[in-house]
Amino acid sequence: MSEAVEKVEEQEIDLGPANLILDKFVNMQGALMPALQAIQESYGYIPEPTVHLTAERLNVYASQIYGVLTFYAQFHLEPRGKYIVRVCMGTACHVKGAARIADVIKNQLGVGHAETTDDLKFTAEYVACIGACGMAPVIMVNNDTFGSLTVQKVEEVIAKYRNMD
Amino acid sequence: MVNLTIDGKQITVSKTATIYEAAVEAGIKIPVLCYAKKLLPYGACRVCLVEVEQMKGRLIPSCTTPVTEGMVVTSISDEIRKVRKTVLEFLLVNHVIECPVCDKGGECDLQDLTYELGVNSNRFEGEKFNLPTDEVNPLIERNMNRCVLCGKCARVCDEIVGYGSYSFINRGFETKIATAFDRGLDCEFCGQCVSMCPVGAILPRPFKFKARPWQLREVDSVCGYCGNGCTVTFGVLNDKVETIRYNDKNGVNDGNLCVRGRFGYSFINSGDRLTKPLVKKGEQLVEVEWDEALKAVADGLKKAQAENGVGILSGARLTNEEFYLLKNLAKLIGTGNLDHSGGECYKGVTEGLLATLGICSSTGTFPQVEQADVVLSIRSDFYETHPVFGMVVNQTVKRNKAELFIVGDKNGKFGKLPGARTLLHKPGLEVNVLNSMSQVLIEDGLAVTEGVEGVDALKKSLAAYTPEKVEATTGVSAEEIRVAARALAGAKQSAILLAYGLPYTAQSKEIAIAAANLAILSGNIGKGESGLYLCGEKANSQGAIDCGVLPSAGGMGAQQMLEAAGQGKLSALYVVGEDPMTSFPDRSKVEKALMTADFVVVQDLFLSPTAELADVVLPAASFAEKNGTFTNAERRIQRVRPGVPSPGEAKTDYDILTLLAARLGEKVNFTGPAALFAALADEAGYTGIDYEKIGPQGIVWGGETVTVKKKMLVFVDGAKPIAGDFLLLTGSALYHSGTMSTRATGPQAVVSEAYVEFNFEDAKGLQIVDESVVSIKADGIELKLKAKVGKRLPKGVLFAPYHFSEARINSLYKGEAAISVQVSK
Repeated sequence: MSEAVEKVEEQEIDLGPANLILDKFVNMQGALMPALQAIQESYGYIPEPTVHLTAERLNVYASQIYGVLTFYAQFHLEPRGKYIVRVCMGTACHVKGAARIADVIKNQLGVGHAETTDDLKFTAEYVACIGACGMAPVIMVNNDTFGSLTVQKVEEVIAKYRNMD
Repeated sequence: MVNLTIDGKQITVSKTATIYEAAVEAGIKIPVLCYAKKLLPYGACRVCLVEVEQMKGRLIPSCTTPVTEGMVVTSISDEIRKVRKTVLEFLLVNHVIECPVCDKGGECDLQDLTYELGVNSNRFEGEKFNLPTDEVNPLIERNMNRCVLCGKCARVCDEIVGYGSYSFINRGFETKIATAFDRGLDCEFCGQCVSMCPVGAILPRPFKFKARPWQLREVDSVCGYCGNGCTVTFGVLNDKVETIRYNDKNGVNDGNLCVRGRFGYSFINSGDRLTKPLVKKGEQLVEVEWDEALKAVADGLKKAQAENGVGILSGARLTNEEFYLLKNLAKLIGTGNLDHSGGECYKGVTEGLLATLGICSSTGTFPQVEQADVVLSIRSDFYETHPVFGMVVNQTVKRNKAELFIVGDKNGKFGKLPGARTLLHKPGLEVNVLNSMSQVLIEDGLAVTEGVEGVDALKKSLAAYTPEKVEATTGVSAEEIRVAARALAGAKQSAILLAYGLPYTAQSKEIAIAAANLAILSGNIGKGESGLYLCGEKANSQGAIDCGVLPSAGGMGAQQMLEAAGQGKLSALYVVGEDPMTSFPDRSKVEKALMTADFVVVQDLFLSPTAELADVVLPAASFAEKNGTFTNAERRIQRVRPGVPSPGEAKTDYDILTLLAARLGEKVNFTGPAALFAALADEAGYTGIDYEKIGPQGIVWGGETVTVKKKMLVFVDGAKPIAGDFLLLTGSALYHSGTMSTRATGPQAVVSEAYVEFNFEDAKGLQIVDESVVSIKADGIELKLKAKVGKRLPKGVLFAPYHFSEARINSLYKGEAAISVQVSK
């Protein structure tokens, strides 16, 4: 198993915040999901050391936690960008040229679906439909929506976020 | 009871049964893949679908559906056959067909079902996975392309082993069984998942490409490692034990085994086995014929007895019959100096329980523990000493929601069970904690005192053991002590567990007495199926006690023998099946004794460090080559059967002892183990048990619950905390048992060398990481060991297993509870 042979990289992660979060969930029934969500909220993703910590403190097997983390799309095991760029690939956007929008983003940021820039600023995600078909083609950056896009407009949006902290 | 009809057959079964179980009882065969008797119903594979008259319109999974009164079930029909066939077609969409090179071929449930239902084509097509095989560890291979997602491996690892290596990961078609982060398997390697897998997805690596299952001859015997007495079924091909077969029909273990039982057999086939007798000529041990060796032994022992006498030190892995012959030999030589297992560790049974209860054994049987609602485990994490008994406790706690308390000096796997409470004390203070629990029972008026002697005296003596005072000395909170004591008194059925063995010699008698006091006062003794369990480390520890391999009146025990031999006051030592140089406390004392004694005979499988110092070495047989009986820690007498012949000229201890007796002038004329068993039965307390009638479940002497002869409270004083920055404990590592397992490739592949375990905070302070070589010093003796860092140990406590000879742990360990050591990098 290739992944297995690889030496597991020691991740330097401050477990302080995770410990504080887990304090609230110890000895609580059905605590795993909310605990993991809170950890993701705090770290932006689920770092491996926090999985082992959660296993120990909530007395759940690490394998089971990994099962939960890989089952739900909401959990992320890799660091994610500060800005999540969701590119709508739904029917309406598709017709209106979503593929080109995705290409521009790939050109601009150098990342495709579920990939993150090295500076941890952007993560691109191609999603099925974000429910704003009237504004097609559309993308979301975190909680802000940008519709009726053109190549130029996308570049402006990216530039705007690139210049932000 | 519930009445139902299956295929027109009237059946009455328990109301908790499922349709599948009812069918099995009635002898009706329903195919299954994901079902296993010992696991909870799951219903993943849909192969066991049946029709139920009352639930028309769909097929019902028989393995998860409970029976109801008047149910009418059809187990096979054209429609059922069609649906089962479709289920198999679906499974075969993904399953790679590589039966010709799959080790499971011939005993694969999927292969058998496909054949049985005639699935010779598949209407569906789909992608086969091409997942890499997990071959990272040397014992268990996982090929997930063959997996049918029955979940048995994940379930057994959780429900029975309590380790939780596996889980389903991902979703939908991508679903697979994996470890955390989908890495190679890194666990206890008990191989329970191997035994459960219905297909060739999880296989034992040492058995790869060794034989087809139908070529193997199966021989049921008893595992030669610990006192649990698990049934092992040898798979023999060409006079070689090639594997241990799954067998859930015999004995006490339900087919459960630990890493030693399943993978530890390989020492039998080891090329290092002694095959010819050796006699010291000059400085060298040279191979000789049996005749010469036996003459040398007989002459040497006779001469020694005429001078300062002979001492006999035995191990605890001989059969009962061999113990009897050994005792007989001692009589023949005329010596009372006979002892086993270092002479200290079992005193909790032979002296402790004798003083308090008037018996010398555990009071109950292992299956009774499953029904207990409160369990108290003392000192050992049973997962290390008796892993399969540990699995019983695991199920007691997880399935039956029993409360579990652990009195121990380190954390263990037991402590992770739901609701388990560990009363973590400073090393060596078990008695203090147990005394305090007894004190609580008396103080609270919960103590059972009817028919109990010595109540007032104990009450007075225990005044110094109030929980608050004990908290100050041991570090266990007073509240925890009270909670544990009250729970024990309030239990409907309780079990108190205590393991003993060579690395646990300190205060063995005292701890057993304190435990017995607690058992009496809490009502554990004499209450239904409650029991007090003192479990010996080795396969026949209980047999050694029953058969009286103990110093006779006026004779010397093991430690006295060694002392006397070291001072030249004992002329000969005869060591059978033990490697005292490695396993006994105080190596220098053992060494001095062996060097000073004029004549040393060692009878063993290997040229152990002890054998190297002998004048005559006799090559003995392993448990897999013996015929006889072992008595396990719950008093169950079970048959040991030979699977293979001994290598070269090695002989069983039975044969050697018989030949030796003849040389010493007595013809011992037993026709075999059965006759010998009859001869020893009365003396050993096995009266009325017929050797020939010992069946697959063995026979428990004294009944399921032994009637105690008395209930006598005896006060034993606790110990004082041991001073020192770092305290070193020794004990058993899960993967090993005694010194024999260090010759087995299975356990060796997992833990190949000695180590010293640190708490992670201590390690940080000392700048030690895993694999750092550290120096451990005490009394001017320095050991260099590899470090292992973890969270199991409390701060300031170190642990080193005792199995490895070259590590010389026993040059520091002299039988104390903990050794104060200096640590440096």
